[in-house]
Amino acid sequence: MRAALLALVLVLLPAGAGAEDLVSGLSQDQIQITSNYTGSDLVVFGAIEQNTGIGDEADTNRRDVVVVVRGPAAKMDVRRKQRIAGLWINNREITLSGMPAYYYVASTQPLTKIAQPDMLGRYQIGLDNVKPESASTHSSLKAEQFRQAVVRERVRTHLFSEAPNGVEFLGYSLFRVHVPVPAGAPRGQYTAEVYLFKNGVVMSAQSTPLFVDQIGLERNLFNFAHNEPFTYGVAAVLMAVLLGYLSSLIFRQPG
Amino acid sequence: MEIYLPIAEMSVHWLIILAMGGAVGFLSGMFGVGGGFLLTPLLIFYGIPSEVAVATTASHITASSMAGALAQWKRRSVDLAMAGVLLAGGLVGTSFGVWLFKLLLEAGQSEFVVSAGYVILLGTVGGLMLSESLQALRAARSGNPLPSRPAQHHNWIHGLPLKMRFRQSRLYISVFPPLVLGFIVGILSAIMGVGGGFVLVPAMIYLLRMPTSVVMGTSLVQILCVTAATTILQATSNYTVDILLAGLLILGGVVGAQFGVRIGARMRGEQLRLLLAVLVLAVGARLLIGLVVTPEDIFSVTVEGQ
Repeated sequence: MRAALLALVLVLLPAGAGAEDLVSGLSQDQIQITSNYTGSDLVVFGAIEQNTGIGDEADTNRRDVVVVVRGPAAKMDVRRKQRIAGLWINNREITLSGMPAYYYVASTQPLTKIAQPDMLGRYQIGLDNVKPESASTHSSLKAEQFRQAVVRERVRTHLFSEAPNGVEFLGYSLFRVHVPVPAGAPRGQYTAEVYLFKNGVVMSAQSTPLFVDQIGLERNLFNFAHNEPFTYGVAAVLMAVLLGYLSSLIFRQPG
Repeated sequence: MEIYLPIAEMSVHWLIILAMGGAVGFLSGMFGVGGGFLLTPLLIFYGIPSEVAVATTASHITASSMAGALAQWKRRSVDLAMAGVLLAGGLVGTSFGVWLFKLLLEAGQSEFVVSAGYVILLGTVGGLMLSESLQALRAARSGNPLPSRPAQHHNWIHGLPLKMRFRQSRLYISVFPPLVLGFIVGILSAIMGVGGGFVLVPAMIYLLRMPTSVVMGTSLVQILCVTAATTILQATSNYTVDILLAGLLILGGVVGAQFGVRIGARMRGEQLRLLLAVLVLAVGARLLIGLVVTPEDIFSVTVEGQ
């Protein structure tokens, strides 16, 4: 739905007379995360091209740029604990499908000042508007409660974040955003979306795909554990037995 | 240097993990125990998911029981027939336990069951040890040694059918008690990540009435094999063995154990047991607090099939 909307915007908007055109790009279209790494930046950059003639009214109107980076959709089991006989026990579970596993939004000013909530909601801009495609409950109130729990958990692990002043303007039309990609970022297809807002309305939008991959020893071990679990288990036992045996050789008690 | 644990999916400092392995190794060397019941809670306190802590500790116990089992083997103090029967029960037990654990994981209850299980286990074992060692200390102070238990030559165990001769233990008993014992220890290994020595050894001495000379060796062989099986089963059905975490823990553990053995040899038995009892109770209490105190966030999120 959202992708279709975005496509519609892409088709309809740039043609408008007097519209400002948006060009944007990424520093990399492929990010490789090694496990020892503490985090690096993806840079989204772009420029607003002006097609208007003389008598430019742009100066009097507020332009805002919003950059959204979304990770691959994931299926999440969210559980709620309840106190039962004095002990905290998981007792309600809801599965949310189609939540992005990673979400980052940067803007020129706080989102609430850029556009009305329904506009932000339509494009799923902002942590309040990241929605699952479906939830295993009919109660929208419950779904919202559990959705918020996902946002809290993702914010804690730095996989979701909002940077209200994260769009950096270099001069009048050139802008740049540093997007942090933490070590735990899941692998898969991401999209970087750039929106140009004028007076609270999306004037132009662009979407660019990028791919995040995890590489290195730790990723290979993860693949090994999941693709060849039996061999992996045997390897773990062999390692343990070998280390135990070596220790008895090295630390042999005299006598 | 931070390293990323591929299965636990978290960044840890390798020195901290090495030190944890070392500390548990030291204590297990000092007290002559496997240390699984200390290592699993410690990993959980550090933030390792409980299912990973349980499965990875099993492989740690494999390594730490290896050296002891080898030494006992050379001394010929292993009752192979008894080890075989225990192991048969143990393999069924751990298969059942891992299957049960998978169900708990899917239901989102593994964390609670592991913690609650530890609270019960540590509370019981620690409480018994505490009262026993306090009695022993009091008796030693007043100068009256405790009367040793009267030897019961015939308890209910001797009434069971399907008797089998265990030559090295000089026993002629039914195969059911060791089978059931092995089964119970197998389940413990799968669900709690312990070797189960603290259940196995007393049961072998007091219930099966095996001579103490073969108890250590036989129990070590059983623990070695069952934890090895547990490791493989957890890896294949739950993908919860973190080989990197296990390697670091084992390295720290084998070194720590050497120092522990030396310190332990200089201390008196009752004091050692009192100390261990206090430690066991403290770990149990800490886990109980974790279950009772309101969590920071009552919601938790698991991503399916990442």
